[in-house]
Amino acid sequence: MSSGCPPQSPAVAKSEVPVEGECPLLAATFAYWDNILGPRVRYIWAPKGDQLMFLSDGEVTFLANHTLNGEILRSAECGAVDVKFFVLAEKGVIIVSLIFDGELKGDKNTCALSIILPQTELAFYLPLHTICVERLKHVIRKGRIWMQKGYNIISVLSLEIIPIMELLASMKSHSVQEDIDIKDTVLNDDDIGDSCHEDFLHKAISSHLQTCGCSIVVGSNPEKVNKIVRTLCLFLTPAERKCSRLCKADSSFKYDTGLFVQGLLKDSTGSFVLPFRQVLYSPYPTTHIDVDINTVKQMPPCHEHTFNQRRYMRSELSALWKTDSEEDIPPDTVIYTDETFTPDLNIFQDVMHKDTLVKSFIDEVFMLKPGLSLRSTYLAQFLLLLHRKALTLLKYIEDETQKGKKPFRSLRSLKTDLDLTVEGDLNIVMAFAEKLRAGLHSFVFGKPFYTSMQERDILMTL
Amino acid sequence: MIGSPDVVAFTKEDEFGQTSPDPWGLPEEFSIPLYPPADSNPWAKTSYAKFTKDFILISEFSEQVGPQPLLTIPDDPKVCGTFDLNYFSLRIMSVDYQASFVGHPPGSGYPRLSFVEDSRVVLGDSKEGAFAYVHHLTLYDLEARGFVRPFCMAYISADERKIMLQFQEMSLRFSQASECLKAGNRRAFAKELQRKLQDLEYTHSVLQREEGLQREAGPQSMYSAHVVEKANELANVEKSIYEHRDLLRQISSYYCYPRRDPHAVTCQRCMTECLSECEALLDKYAKLANPFSYTAKGRKREDGQGESDGEGGEEEVEEDEEGIKRRSSYTPQLIKAKSAKCFDKRLKTLQELCDDTFYEATMELLKETERSFRGDLCYLHTRRLDKALRKKQRVTNFLFEEDLSDDVEDDGGILQPFCAVNHAVENYTLLNPPPIVLGPEPLKLLKPPDSIDPISETSNTLESELGLGDNHLESSPSNQTLETLESSEETKGSFSSDKSGMGPAEKQQSLGNVSDPPDFDLTTDPDQITDLERESSSEDMETTAGEDEGDNGGDQPPLSFLEVASELEANSEDDSERFSVKTCEIQSDLLVPIDSACCMAQEGFLYEASAPEADPLQGHSSCSQSSQTLVVNQEPQSLLPLQDDYFVGSPCTEKTVAGLELPIGHFGDAVSRNSFEDGSDCTMSASTGSDRAASPLGYGGTVTLRHRKKAGQGALRFVRQYPFAMQALWCLLSGRTLVVLGADEGRVRRLVAALALFVPGPGKCGERVQAWLCCPFTLTDLQRWKLIGLQRMASPVGSSMLYSLSRYSRYISILDADQKTLRCPAYQGQLLANLADHRTFIRRGSTYFLHTQSTLCHLAAKAFLFTFTHHLHLPVSSTEGPEVVEGRRRCFLQEQLGLGEEDSQILLYLSHLITQRYLQAATGSSGAAPCFSFKYTTSVLYKI
Repeated sequence: MSSGCPPQSPAVAKSEVPVEGECPLLAATFAYWDNILGPRVRYIWAPKGDQLMFLSDGEVTFLANHTLNGEILRSAECGAVDVKFFVLAEKGVIIVSLIFDGELKGDKNTCALSIILPQTELAFYLPLHTICVERLKHVIRKGRIWMQKGYNIISVLSLEIIPIMELLASMKSHSVQEDIDIKDTVLNDDDIGDSCHEDFLHKAISSHLQTCGCSIVVGSNPEKVNKIVRTLCLFLTPAERKCSRLCKADSSFKYDTGLFVQGLLKDSTGSFVLPFRQVLYSPYPTTHIDVDINTVKQMPPCHEHTFNQRRYMRSELSALWKTDSEEDIPPDTVIYTDETFTPDLNIFQDVMHKDTLVKSFIDEVFMLKPGLSLRSTYLAQFLLLLHRKALTLLKYIEDETQKGKKPFRSLRSLKTDLDLTVEGDLNIVMAFAEKLRAGLHSFVFGKPFYTSMQERDILMTL
Repeated sequence: MIGSPDVVAFTKEDEFGQTSPDPWGLPEEFSIPLYPPADSNPWAKTSYAKFTKDFILISEFSEQVGPQPLLTIPDDPKVCGTFDLNYFSLRIMSVDYQASFVGHPPGSGYPRLSFVEDSRVVLGDSKEGAFAYVHHLTLYDLEARGFVRPFCMAYISADERKIMLQFQEMSLRFSQASECLKAGNRRAFAKELQRKLQDLEYTHSVLQREEGLQREAGPQSMYSAHVVEKANELANVEKSIYEHRDLLRQISSYYCYPRRDPHAVTCQRCMTECLSECEALLDKYAKLANPFSYTAKGRKREDGQGESDGEGGEEEVEEDEEGIKRRSSYTPQLIKAKSAKCFDKRLKTLQELCDDTFYEATMELLKETERSFRGDLCYLHTRRLDKALRKKQRVTNFLFEEDLSDDVEDDGGILQPFCAVNHAVENYTLLNPPPIVLGPEPLKLLKPPDSIDPISETSNTLESELGLGDNHLESSPSNQTLETLESSEETKGSFSSDKSGMGPAEKQQSLGNVSDPPDFDLTTDPDQITDLERESSSEDMETTAGEDEGDNGGDQPPLSFLEVASELEANSEDDSERFSVKTCEIQSDLLVPIDSACCMAQEGFLYEASAPEADPLQGHSSCSQSSQTLVVNQEPQSLLPLQDDYFVGSPCTEKTVAGLELPIGHFGDAVSRNSFEDGSDCTMSASTGSDRAASPLGYGGTVTLRHRKKAGQGALRFVRQYPFAMQALWCLLSGRTLVVLGADEGRVRRLVAALALFVPGPGKCGERVQAWLCCPFTLTDLQRWKLIGLQRMASPVGSSMLYSLSRYSRYISILDADQKTLRCPAYQGQLLANLADHRTFIRRGSTYFLHTQSTLCHLAAKAFLFTFTHHLHLPVSSTEGPEVVEGRRRCFLQEQLGLGEEDSQILLYLSHLITQRYLQAATGSSGAAPCFSFKYTTSVLYKI
């Protein structure tokens, strides 16, 4: 070999992931900053199936390397995961990169986990960005532990990359449309109770709104499931609808963390196994609606959900940290791997709080003649009212606490002043406000809850 | 037994969840916090950013000094605070995302310009708490390496979510700015090339002549080193000419170049103009293809005129071979074929790289972009949702919401492309402002004011009583208040109309000098003081501020009609010109006679009125024609689609102030008409009160946060200070005219401005509110205005005013601002209890305003439901009489909606307004039958 030639780069490892349907993802890459060679791509995941656009490995490598350019200046705190989002018109692609630090071969390196999509999918991808990023962030946390132990991170990353490919492919074919025709929903029925029991509908919508618009609808009849999915989506914003999924007619999708509403089909035995971990990792608590038996269950409110979620995540990471062998990647559930933590599996509970807002809306909307735009107009008025109430509540708390500088102590006054004395009404409006200002529940209700948790933990140790 | 308090004693509050470090436990750097900071303070997520509010940064990757910041928008050092712009520029410019080949491509003799598409990057520095949308673009510079200068425009914010959630709109706005800048740059580049070619050709001619002279001077077939050097230099110049001509050709071909960026925003008009300019240049230099033309001409001159070398330049350029005169202000220079070394030359500034018009337009676009994204995300987000939802309920928006005029934002809330330069040249800001403006939207087309006066109660039509058959009411004069409110507010106690000519500074001074006696109406409450204080210091709080943003109102709640009253106050003199223009535009419409009875006589459409005696609500033998006949009993869709454009009526309904035509003074009419015809500001002096010129107020222009809040603040003050506020609000919401009587104009105006929030269907320009009236009012005025501020004065005029008050007292409610009393029918309902609770803990006017918005939105929804619930208004069978239907309606109100007698009146009134509005639009008529309603109910005097 001529001494003038640069050393040959080792070939980039690649795996092709079979994905059903049209996957908008072009590739996913893991790259790192090599102290000698500079940015280097270590691994490529490429979907195998219908592709909107083809990128050669060379192009993928070129793009992935670019995601690390400039990161030599990175001064983030250890463990921080920074997100970079590129729209490169020259190349016609979008790249989402998560930059983090990790230990490779004893050195601390800057790494990038990236997904690449065609630029034409920008509008499709943007509403799903938060979901993808949050899921990738968590798998990176796990991957960093794996790297620290000197194990191969790729196997851990694959645990989430492949589901994300499947998620995007499923959303491509089954996402709820931004504009829902009210004719496809229960609200178009001639009378309340035509499609489903009156109280069930009320409870479903009320709980759906109390859990920030996050629901799963399960059933055996896909049409029935999808009708409820669309009905619930009427109460979401257009962007949130794009993060919702209808159920597949023939077989069921897997549950996907982060979607707002998703329809899931029961199997031939009439059951659907819900993954505890994934449901807990949803950014908001979830309402569980079974259209076969007309039941509505809901998870605890946001502050409790966040607390439970974080405890679970910490426990999961701890379990990974304690793993002795690279082969023993802990399963998704850590219930039995961490002796110090026993999560409460009974996360879905009955809807305890009745409301008047949804109740009166449901009662009244069916008085308006169907088939016209009257019901849509009335629905818009209802949603406008909820959004405004949420903003008012937020502003009220903001005033009372000087933007969070003081604790909030006037919940009773708030309820009276803003006409939210009914607990269900308060929950709905708080849920809307939570979406506007993340952490509001914890701020308002967190302290007593944390104290009670604290007490419980202490008691358990005695 | 161990109880909770015992357990808590074992714990440390701050360290809960962080047990003693376990050597085998997971290090914190690999874990996640159990209590994220957002949980302890959701408003403090971005507080560690070193800058105070979002800003735009333009940076360049200079070939001489590397990445450097060029300018910020807003151009205020305070905005950036201690944030290190140099470091951040380095970070965002450290990658060439547009990596494409520049320079000499292999196999090509000439340098090639690369037309690279912009790239967009969102990145952040979590340590600094700074996140940025970065728009990379490349400009052309003849002096630069590879002829390109990489720049970027970055929107820097402390809130990453804000950028990602608004990515598309941000991208669109920056694309517009970028395309504008690049278009100007191409134009400037072409001009630069033109000059360079002139220089080169001139240089070429000089060198050629010199070379020829040297050759002739030397011995035959012998070339000295000097001659050879000259020849080489000449060859270099020739090559350079060809290269630059090729560059010109390339820049011209840009317009034929297929764009690869689907999100690029280009203006066809700009493209065409630039293309034609470049083609003209190309043609021009194609004619100079023979570089020896200069020499030839030079020789000709030498032969003919013996002109010296140095003088040739300009004249040579002025006349070409065909003898066509061409003017050029540029004098070609003798230049060296090789350009200066990279570090020897001064690089052009961004402004020099771009045509002036385009540069200024770009800066304006960026300023507008910065303004449009100012404020907290939750308010920006809610405003967008609010608007989208209001678009779906146009049928009730007129009640309490602001008008949704057309704008460049489509239904999805995405900005439509436009051309900054052309629109800027054509006064774009007046015609078509960008949609995400925090101020109120300017009016494009004045819609008909609410010209009808429906009733909710069993009513009397006084038409026949008064013998007034003609429904056409002239635009009655009024000094209609809201526009002049600002001066009132600002001058507080001194309300001379002369103040209207004062500048803002003078007004401010005037404000400072006024010393009012302490009065609880005039005393600024602590809330207001705090707001003002916050406003003054709001620059420090921009990124996390709620309502307390500087003057932008960035996170103001969505504007609604409720704000109009206060917004109108903000109409400064600056807006008067625009307003006048609008006034002119509607002039013709205003004077069109109307047929106000058209929607009353539709056979088979309107429900047959129930007999007055059959009406259970009728306490008196009143004619119930109006309320009964205006029930919608036909499917809306058969009339017109509700969600589509509702206002099918022509603007000729503009001034269909249906009702009673009372003998209005000719002078008043003349004033009114002349004002319209003149196109001048027809708002009459607020203090004279002797005239009643109509003032269909427009709104728009810059509205400060203080103005927008004022109505809410005033309303909250009113609710807190007057125990009978609920009764006053009930009067307004149930359609009973409320007269605010007082001697102090400022106090009355403030009260009117506050109460105007509760006037249903106040009209686009607040036509239903008269803030200050100094003359006796008539029955017609009661028809027209639902809220009147009336001057109390001790004079003959004053006595006639009091006479008019007592004469019409059965139709009106009187709020005496001096005596602090209210005379109105008793209200014992519950619907407004939450809206007018004087013990409310709501602290701020802006919060109360939001609360009011919610409540009124709720009322409008109920009224909509009542109006369009068909079975309530239609007989179920042919045998069913009107009284049964009426009973059903009553039953619905009482049992379904749980409303008492007085509360029902509110809904009936609102429903009536909706019905009339709807029928008016459905039939394309100019208005419903005029009617004036009242109810013989005993009034009660409320005192503090």
